[in-house]
Amino acid sequence: SLAGIMLLEVFLVFFFFFFIIIFFPSKKKEETFFFFFLWWGKGRKPDTEDDFFFFFFKVETTEEELSDLFRRLDQARFTEPLENSCFHYGTNSVYLRKVVSYWKNQFNWKKQVEVLNKYPQFKTKIQGIDIHFVHVKPPRLPEGQSAKPLLMVHGWPGSFYEFYKIIPLLTDPASHGLSDEHIFEVICPSIPGYGFSEAPHKKDFNSVSAASIFYELMLRLGFNEFYAQGGDCGWLICTNLAQIAPNHVKGLHLNLALVMNMGFTHLLSILLGRYLPGLFGFQDEDVKRMFPFLEKGLYKILLESGYAHIQATKPDTVGCGLNDSPVGLAAYILEKFSTWTDLEFRNLEDGGLERKFNLDDLLTNIMIYWVSGCMVSSMRFYKENLQNGIGTQKHEKLTVQVPTGIASFPNEIMHTPQAWAQKKYTNIVSFHFMPRGGHFAALEEPELLAEDILQFVGKVEKEQLWRKK
Amino acid sequence: TILCLPRSLEYSQKNAILIPAATLGVGGMLVYWLRSRHTVKTIEMGDGWWGSGERPLKGKEDESIRPFKIETSDKEIEDLHRRLDQARFAPPLEGAAFHYGFNSIYLQKVVAYWRNQFDWRKQVEVLNKYPHFKTTIEGIDIHFIHVKPSYVPHGRAVQPLLMVHGWPGSFYEFYKIIPLLTEPAGHGLNEGDVVFEVICPSIPGYGFSEAPCQKGFDSIATARIFHKLMNRLGFKEYYLQGGDWGSRIITNMAQMLPQSVKGLHLNLVFVTTQGLRRMISVMLGAYVPWLVGLTKEDVKRTYPFIQKNIYTLLQESGYLHIQATKPDTAGCGLNDSPVGLAAYILEKFSTWTDKSFRHRDDGGLESKYSLEELLTNVMIYWVTSSIVSSMRYYKENISKDPTLSLDARVGVHVPTGIAAFPQEIAHAPRVWAKNIYKNIITYSYMPSGGHFAAFEEPKLLAKDIMHFVRKVEQL
Repeated sequence: SLAGIMLLEVFLVFFFFFFIIIFFPSKKKEETFFFFFLWWGKGRKPDTEDDFFFFFFKVETTEEELSDLFRRLDQARFTEPLENSCFHYGTNSVYLRKVVSYWKNQFNWKKQVEVLNKYPQFKTKIQGIDIHFVHVKPPRLPEGQSAKPLLMVHGWPGSFYEFYKIIPLLTDPASHGLSDEHIFEVICPSIPGYGFSEAPHKKDFNSVSAASIFYELMLRLGFNEFYAQGGDCGWLICTNLAQIAPNHVKGLHLNLALVMNMGFTHLLSILLGRYLPGLFGFQDEDVKRMFPFLEKGLYKILLESGYAHIQATKPDTVGCGLNDSPVGLAAYILEKFSTWTDLEFRNLEDGGLERKFNLDDLLTNIMIYWVSGCMVSSMRFYKENLQNGIGTQKHEKLTVQVPTGIASFPNEIMHTPQAWAQKKYTNIVSFHFMPRGGHFAALEEPELLAEDILQFVGKVEKEQLWRKK
Repeated sequence: TILCLPRSLEYSQKNAILIPAATLGVGGMLVYWLRSRHTVKTIEMGDGWWGSGERPLKGKEDESIRPFKIETSDKEIEDLHRRLDQARFAPPLEGAAFHYGFNSIYLQKVVAYWRNQFDWRKQVEVLNKYPHFKTTIEGIDIHFIHVKPSYVPHGRAVQPLLMVHGWPGSFYEFYKIIPLLTEPAGHGLNEGDVVFEVICPSIPGYGFSEAPCQKGFDSIATARIFHKLMNRLGFKEYYLQGGDWGSRIITNMAQMLPQSVKGLHLNLVFVTTQGLRRMISVMLGAYVPWLVGLTKEDVKRTYPFIQKNIYTLLQESGYLHIQATKPDTAGCGLNDSPVGLAAYILEKFSTWTDKSFRHRDDGGLESKYSLEELLTNVMIYWVTSSIVSSMRYYKENISKDPTLSLDARVGVHVPTGIAAFPQEIAHAPRVWAKNIYKNIITYSYMPSGGHFAAFEEPKLLAKDIMHFVRKVEQL
């Protein structure tokens, strides 16, 4: 039938493109996996080594910064949305006007700066650039217990601020109704090029480079063994960290785990997995979240990955206007907080944003991008990681042996079944379907995420699994 | 194949009337077959309403054609200058040239020129040198320029020519080529017996044409509106020229009302049909090009295929992907920051003019264009606040599966001329273009030039248009 021919054509093109993406001609020489201590600062690397000093850091603001912001908000030019378009064409400018009005009149950046400064922050120079991080120790420790170091890495368009709600649940679980069997001291760095971390001045700063910097950071802080947690870019960086320093990473917890190299078995399981789930190791929940695949997989990715495509090819172009217009920046970032929290929010005129988040938190995150002027450098991270294609880099082909825990949130952009994840993460200790929540798990569902991290760490510690590697 | 199954086949269940029914059936088939040889399948014209709210039930649309002049004010210029003064730039990576997009060091030079030397009032006068008009069609104001030849030699017919721009261009792209077409003799062009009167509209949502308020405004709606425009101007038959979106719009126009289109000239061919046959043709073409109808020049421009086509297309189509999915998000900041708008638009004028410009720190822009003319085009988007609506056009046109779109299945039978420029983003060999354009009269490999043909190589393009039109007139 006609539909059948069309479907076959779509699949053949799909198939063809997968092969193109996999066998993309590599433009650079093959990436050696073992990192060198590179230099990301300006100009040539000086002969002296990095000093290992830590500096206290406080977020600051000035009247000038605020009045500049207000001036730009006042002069903002909006374009009327199409009738009945809700969030289908992107951020709805009628709702955006409301956000801007709140931003001008009620949002108090000075107060939010104090909120940001409630946790101790530091900077240290690693491989030529200043790395910013938050370091929170537990307020009290029961007799005989030590705090377990936990590195939490944010993603795009997030920041270290995303963790401000979950940090107390991990450093002081008892006060929040959670078991205090494991207590953490939490380190949340800013990825170089994001927020208050200096942006790399050289090309090719990818997730492996970031992992090597964070590894160095943890060593400098005196941690020989630590846990790592991440989603979005944080997932990739923490995975790399587990690959480059497996003896130091006790456990890896992820709220996102994408499959980078699809092979023939993946394609087969997409075609047949709905009818023979058992054969491919799919559980009922997997089938529910993944099928019908065209709609929930392929079309969803195509509809939602425009930003990744342009950031992976022309970051300086697309970021330019966003670094100059706070309203444009807000529109761009808020769209992700809407759609990636729940795809159904595209059907709402206000994008459903205030159902799950409050405007203060959302705008604080946006302000971090605005005051640090880091939008362009944050986007470059996509190019550095994706420019050679997906699934072509060495680290994407290597597996992870470190004990891994995966929290699979239902509204995450792409669902990865355990059957696929275990091809890469060979030592999955816990894999849970979370009852609710989307991409920004730490900000949206901090209790659920904290509970999953705690039970995962419990398992790893009990079996002393990290020693068995 | 399946679409061609005759639908006039009749059948009856009663055996008694089987034979006469069969005769009728065969006869019917014969008649249908004979008729289908002469009638050409067309796209339905349909109708539309793009103004705000519901279409008014009573009253006829105001069909007057009103003269229009572009204006500016001190306030507008001061606002622009203020924004340019407060622009924030992010330093590029070392050695990045234009590989990460528009280089912000060069951008600062452009902005300095824009702030201190660019004279918008003077450019507005330049824009107003041709007569502008507006008229309301389907609820929205359509802007266009209409240039008649000032002198028509005795006995020469003046051909009406509709030229349609694309994204991120505008009617202004045609300002250099218009005099070559309305007064060829005065510009050293000797294709002598063809003289044109040129109409350049702005696509709704672009420049001074009002943006549609309703969803679904695609190239077919645009085609219909432009037919109505030409009709309103009193033209029954006319030539069409276009590249980028213009190419798609005029193709739809030729599919919709072939009897009104004397000829179709394109400087870009959208190769819409992907599929198994195309893939085989691509794979074989590398080794036995003659077998699949590819010429030497085709091979030079198409291969290495993955490199030149897929890799380049993926590298350069990020904007298309985001505009086809989230135009309101992508355009929001650009409508608020003129510097961001300039970076976004001028990056295309760099890369689509010559792919090697990506290796240059200044993107090679001033080697082919002047900053004054580039910024005039950017200003058109800025003063009309039309960047978001211009981006929405991508979403409206690129449906989930492009091969299922109506126009891909309806061929184009009007005389067609194709000018293939070497630095165009993707090359379309004649044999692939024939899938859609069944009646190619001329196909020229141009010696130089890229995507913005009318802007960059007006003389070459004008010559090819005249060469094509002469051939069509002789038919």
